[in-house]
Amino acid sequence: MEHAVQVEHLVKRFGTFTAVDGVTFGVDRGEVFGILGPNGAGKTTTLEIIESLQKPTEGRVSVLGLDVQTNAAEVKARIGVQLQASAYYDYLNLKEILALLGSFYPKRVSSETLLEQVGLSDKASSRMGELSGGQQQRFAVAASLVNAPELVILDEPTTGLDPQARRNLWGLIKEVNQRGVTVVMTTHYMDEAENLCNRLAIMDHGQILALDTPQNLINQLEATYTVKLTMTKPMTMAQLKALNGGIEVIQSGEQAGEEPGPENTYLLRLTNSPSALQTMLDEIAKANLGLENLQITPVTLEDVFLDLTGTELRD
Amino acid sequence: MIALTLANLKMMSRNRQGIFWALFFPLLLVVVFGLFDFNGVGAADVVVIDQSGGPRSELLRERLEGIAFLEIEYIDISPDEAWNKVADGDLGYLIIIPAMFDDPAGQAQTGAPAPVTLVYSTRDPDRNQLVDGAVRNLVSEIQSDGGPIVPSELLTSDVISVPEVDYFDNVLLGLLGLGIMTNSIISIAVRISTYRNQSILKRLLVTPLPIWKYFAGEIAAHVILAMVQAAIILAVGVFGFGGHVHGNILWVFAITALGSIVFLNIGFILSAWAKSPAAASGMGNAVALPMMFLAGTFFSTASLPWLLPQLSLALPLTPMLTALREVAIDSVPIWDTWPYLAALGGWILVTGLAAIKVFKFG
Repeated sequence: MEHAVQVEHLVKRFGTFTAVDGVTFGVDRGEVFGILGPNGAGKTTTLEIIESLQKPTEGRVSVLGLDVQTNAAEVKARIGVQLQASAYYDYLNLKEILALLGSFYPKRVSSETLLEQVGLSDKASSRMGELSGGQQQRFAVAASLVNAPELVILDEPTTGLDPQARRNLWGLIKEVNQRGVTVVMTTHYMDEAENLCNRLAIMDHGQILALDTPQNLINQLEATYTVKLTMTKPMTMAQLKALNGGIEVIQSGEQAGEEPGPENTYLLRLTNSPSALQTMLDEIAKANLGLENLQITPVTLEDVFLDLTGTELRD
Repeated sequence: MIALTLANLKMMSRNRQGIFWALFFPLLLVVVFGLFDFNGVGAADVVVIDQSGGPRSELLRERLEGIAFLEIEYIDISPDEAWNKVADGDLGYLIIIPAMFDDPAGQAQTGAPAPVTLVYSTRDPDRNQLVDGAVRNLVSEIQSDGGPIVPSELLTSDVISVPEVDYFDNVLLGLLGLGIMTNSIISIAVRISTYRNQSILKRLLVTPLPIWKYFAGEIAAHVILAMVQAAIILAVGVFGFGGHVHGNILWVFAITALGSIVFLNIGFILSAWAKSPAAASGMGNAVALPMMFLAGTFFSTASLPWLLPQLSLALPLTPMLTALREVAIDSVPIWDTWPYLAALGGWILVTGLAAIKVFKFG
C-alpha cells in the first residue's frame, strides 16, 4: 500500500541557513506519526513543504500518492491542516468560520457535526475570543477536519495548554485517528509523543536522528534507569566517575549550567540496575560521601533525546 | 467566492466600532464644511463695460465704485466673453453701459431709452437682489434728472439660469472621494496586515481556495461597503446640509466603485510592506493625506504652486474627483468622462499588477 506521506531526501535552505537537511521518511496510512524535536529543529518547515506552503530546495514529497509540487490543489483538497498558532476570524462565530472554510472544499462536513465531534456544540455561536486555550485548540482540530480529510497535519497542537487540556486533546486526536484518519503531528513534549504516536522521528538541526516506535527508541538505549543523587557534600568528577559499575554521569550539579538543580545533586544513568545500584551505594558508603536523597526512574524518551542530541529539549 | 464576500460583509458589519470611525472622519468634514456659509461672505465681483464714455457714464462708474459690496473691474473683454464668464460662474456680475447712455436726445429720437444691462446668474439669489436693486437705483438717479423716465426701462436684467451649484457641492464630492480613498486604503491595509500577523492568510493558503478568489472576495465586499459609505456621505450632505447632486446618481456610484478598486489595490500593496496593523494604518494615512490636498478635494489644484498642478494630474484621486464632479455637478453623461474613466482603469491595472507582484501571505 502506498504511503500517506513519502518524503525523500528533502532539503530546504533559506539563504545560507539549512532548515531541513536531507530528510527521508514515510508515513503509513492510518498511523499517528510524530516528529519530535526542539524549536528550530526543522519540524514546521518539513510540515509546510508537505502542505505545499513552501517549495523544497531539493528532494521530493508525495502525499496520498500525489506529488505536492505538481498537484498542490488536489493535495490541499484531501488533507486537513492545523497550523502552529494560527488564529481565526474575530468577527465570525465558530459555526460560521467552519461553514466558510468548508465552502473552499469540494467535499465538506457540516459545522454541527464537526463541533459535536470536538465537544464544542454549545459554543457554536461563540467567537474565538470567548474560548479557553484548550477549546481554541480543539476548534483548530475541528477546522482541520472540515473537508473529511484522509490525512491531518497538526503542528504542535498542545503547545501552551495546561496538562488537563493537553490530555483532553490527546483523546480527541486518538478519536480522529480511530476513524481512519492518518495523523502527522509535531511536538516538543516527550510524554505526548510517547502517548500518541505509533512511530516517531526525532529531529534536530534539520536532520532525523532516529525513527521508530517510542518503545523501540527507548529500548535502543543501554541504560534502563536514571538515578538522581543528592549528597550532603559536593562531589568531584573523579569521585563521580569512581562510582563505577555501568554508571554514566550525565549531569552534575556544577555542570547543569542552565537550570541548576538543588545543591550537590547529580544525575546518573544505570545500564544494569540491580548490581550497578548495589555497587554505586557501596562506593558512596565507602567514600563517606553522605547520601541525602536517591531517586530511581525508568528511562524515558527524554533520555533517548538526550542521548541522541547531547542536549535537553530546547524550549 | 460569494461565501467569502458574504462572510467579509458579515465581519465588517459586526466590527461596528471600525465602521463608525471609518465614516466619522469624512462625515465630520461634511458637517464642518456644511456649517460654513461660503456664499454669504465676500464682495460681488463686477465687470463694467462702458460703451458710452461720456460724463454720465463716468458718474455712474464712480457711484458704482462707491458701493462697498461691489468690486468693480474694467478689463478688456468683449460683452460675449464676459457673458460666458458669468454663465460659467467665473464672474459674478456684468454691467454694460450702452453707447447712447450719455445721449438723451438721441434716445428721444429713437423713441426708446438705452437701458444699462446687468447680467448675472441664478447662483446666488440673495446677492442678486441686492446688486440689482443698488444698480437700478443708481441708474435711475443719474438718468431721471434728464426728465421723467420710468425707472424700469433704465435697466435690463439679463438673468442666466444655471443649476443651483455652490462650493459645498464641489466639496461634498471631494469629501466623497476622500472618504472612499482613506477607508479603502487603510481598511484593507490594516485588515490584511492583521490577518497576516495572526496567520489567518496562511490558514487560507492551506485550503484549495484559489488566490484570485480570495482577492475578489475581499474587493467585492469592500466595494459594497464603499457604496454604503458613499450613500451615507451623500445623504448627510444633501439632506443635512442642502448639497446637490444634479447628474445621474448611479453614475456617481459607478465612478465611486472604480475609484474604490484603485485604492483597495493600493491598500494591498501597502499591506505587503507593513509589518504590523499600526504601521499599515500609518502608511495608509501617509499616502492618503497628501493625495487629499494635491488632488483638489477642497480647493482647485490650479492655485497650487510649482509643479504640483501637474503632479496632481498624475494621482488616481484626481480623475476620480473630476469625473464625479462632471457627472454630479455638470450633469455630464458618464461616457463623456471617458478620459478620466480610462485613467482610473489604467490605475486599476497598474496597481492590481503591482499588488499581485508584491503581495505576501506569510
